[in-house]
Amino acid sequence: MDEFNDNEIARLLRLKRYEQPPPGYFENFLHEFHRRQRDELLRQPLWRICLERARGFMSQLDMRSLASYPTAVAAVLVCAAVISLKVYQPPETARIAVQSRPILSAPANAEEEWSLASPVATHIFRTQPVRSFYGSFQTHRAAPPRYVLDSVPVSYEPTFRF
Amino acid sequence: MIDGKTLKMDQALALPARRITDLLSSGLEARAKSKRQAMDQPRNDPDQELVRRTQAGEASAFDDLVIKYTPRLYGLVYNMTSNHEDTNDLLQDVFAKAYKAIRGFRGKSSFYTWIHSIAVNMTLNFLKKRGRRFQLSLDDVDASIQNDKEFMEATATSSPVREADLSELQRRLNEAMMKLSDDHRAVVTMFHIQGMPHAEISKILRVSEGTVRSRLFYANRQLQNYLDEFRKNPVS
Repeated sequence: MDEFNDNEIARLLRLKRYEQPPPGYFENFLHEFHRRQRDELLRQPLWRICLERARGFMSQLDMRSLASYPTAVAAVLVCAAVISLKVYQPPETARIAVQSRPILSAPANAEEEWSLASPVATHIFRTQPVRSFYGSFQTHRAAPPRYVLDSVPVSYEPTFRF
Repeated sequence: MIDGKTLKMDQALALPARRITDLLSSGLEARAKSKRQAMDQPRNDPDQELVRRTQAGEASAFDDLVIKYTPRLYGLVYNMTSNHEDTNDLLQDVFAKAYKAIRGFRGKSSFYTWIHSIAVNMTLNFLKKRGRRFQLSLDDVDASIQNDKEFMEATATSSPVREADLSELQRRLNEAMMKLSDDHRAVVTMFHIQGMPHAEISKILRVSEGTVRSRLFYANRQLQNYLDEFRKNPVS
């Protein structure tokens, strides 16, 4: 019986080129590659993404000196500080409440005060520095606003006459 | 030798000093040029433009490189692992690594050599970790094999039995390939299946051409012995 020679071995091995993946595999490969890249990017922490972007930016500028690396680090720190300020900024309501002027009652003529220069919110919170935001809007027209924390219940107030 | 004429020592010494200096410098320059050419510094890399655009931040250029090299690298990795699922995962990792590292690619070798090096090294590392715990997951043979000249010669008798034998032989060949060591299987895949020359394989594996040839010789002998054994005892 003939033995396999090198040529026969080589021929059999070359036929292995025809072992191919399922149809459509190569067409979908790029989409799969993009998907995996996106997943990996989302798994990374924000600071790393900023660092990679900074590196890419610096490499585009072609700054090869050592000073570029500290600059990149500084840029990343600035970005992180800005982002953290945005994330941990206290809500607008508390700030407005702290800045409001304490007055005991609203003036009788309230119409002139209801201009664009004096927004509704400032009128509502004027009596006390820290109050519930959800004051009664129904009482703003002719009487000072009343709050849940007032000593006199709302039901004991005299009715309004228009 | 000057102007194509070989000079004797006394004739050379008689030349003016400036002429001697010029001759020496031109000789050195010629040597440097030939050395550069001998080194792996391709001047006409067809992927140079795509690589340059990728390094400049154009992701679509890398997509073109992926589309171009996926079929070829698939064949390389698949024939080293004999497992379609492992090949898919490895190929994704190869391109991911190449994308991250491409900024450091200086063009000392062609992109073709560079990415093949990444693929081979990652596959070899994977095979070392996988060890003997693997399962064959072979792709189907494409129908276009029917038009292959060598296939037609191999099945020249047009006998169904002959075709079945060939199919069984291919299966045995796949088993024989997995019996080779990872390094031997790599050179067999690159040389016989991928059709790469010895020089290219040596650049990818970073070994000498002599090492490539000796590995090929040994691997061929191993495959021959195994298939001879099958031929003598076809019933498994």
